[in-house]
Amino acid sequence: MADAPTPVMFAIVTTNKDAVIGGMAPVFLAPNEIERDRIAMWICRITNAIAHDLHNGTVILTVNQASSSS
Amino acid sequence: MSGSTGPINWTPMIIGFAAGFISRVIYLRSGHTRNPGYPSGYITQLALAVIAAMIGSSVLVSLLGKEFTAATFLTLAATQFFNVRTQERKTLEQEEELILVPRGAGYIEGIAITYEARNFLAMLVALATSAVAEWNPYAGAAAGVVFILFGEMYMSGPRVGELIDVEPAEVKFEKGSLLYAGPVMLIEVGLADSRERYLKEGLAVVLKPRDARGEAALWNIAQRQAIAHEAAVAVGVQKDVGYPEQGVVCRMAMPQGTGVAGLAIIPVERDIEKLIRAIKNVPVLESAKWSNIKNTKNRKEHSHG
Repeated sequence: MADAPTPVMFAIVTTNKDAVIGGMAPVFLAPNEIERDRIAMWICRITNAIAHDLHNGTVILTVNQASSSS
Repeated sequence: MSGSTGPINWTPMIIGFAAGFISRVIYLRSGHTRNPGYPSGYITQLALAVIAAMIGSSVLVSLLGKEFTAATFLTLAATQFFNVRTQERKTLEQEEELILVPRGAGYIEGIAITYEARNFLAMLVALATSAVAEWNPYAGAAAGVVFILFGEMYMSGPRVGELIDVEPAEVKFEKGSLLYAGPVMLIEVGLADSRERYLKEGLAVVLKPRDARGEAALWNIAQRQAIAHEAAVAVGVQKDVGYPEQGVVCRMAMPQGTGVAGLAIIPVERDIEKLIRAIKNVPVLESAKWSNIKNTKNRKEHSHG
């Protein structure tokens, strides 16, 4: 926190594929919100990423480059 | 000692040494949050205290005894104490990588500076006391006590609790995923699993500055990192690799900019009193101390963003 972290978008998990177009991060499609949250949590735990809900059916996962602390 | 010019009067040296050593030991106790909590750390500090007190108390005596070589060597030895700060900083910086809630560079610098300054202060107390004791041993002993008390008052900087009120607050989520500590929005938590854990196990406090100095301290990010670190040390934190959003967060009330900060933690020991006590006891950092700002916003109003 003392050195401001620079979040890098790591992955995108969405139930609404029209809300996301391309980009540098892989996009995971989920059939419903429960499945989406499950995938998001799974990837978060594996990659030390932080999930952010955009409230449009999309969850983005970011990784802080400077440090893993939030 | 060689080339003796009469018997050396040992009394001022002994009184000066005692005063310097006691002053160092007292700071060791009063600054326990800044010092290592392990025995080997105390041994190092006690050894340095002995050396510092000895240098301080013997300089004047050796000068009066016309032992200029000895006095020169003693000043040379005193300069060696500059290394102590670098050493302390290096140790703490290495520890940063090993702990999940780091102290932050600002806090480390503060600890290192204080550590160094205390050794020099012990030296000065020993020197001043021995100077007075040279004139009169009893006056020397009295002056030693005065110097120790003066040093203690002067050296212990303000604590967070003197500038900021710390109050318990409710952990809650608004708009589905925004974590709040009372009125202060902290972070966005995207995972339902993490939100549940914050609600079930989390503790939160609101830090309300009493005056402009307290607010300046809170706006300093190094100060908040130090607060988060001390909070995590006091009640423990359920944080692990792979769970970066769970743990401890300390943020300002941001869109409003009221100068109030919030802190949320998932503690190991659920004890809000202990948490508040620990936060109040965090030293105000050097880097946060001197900026003089005044919030022109009405602090009474808290709009919930």
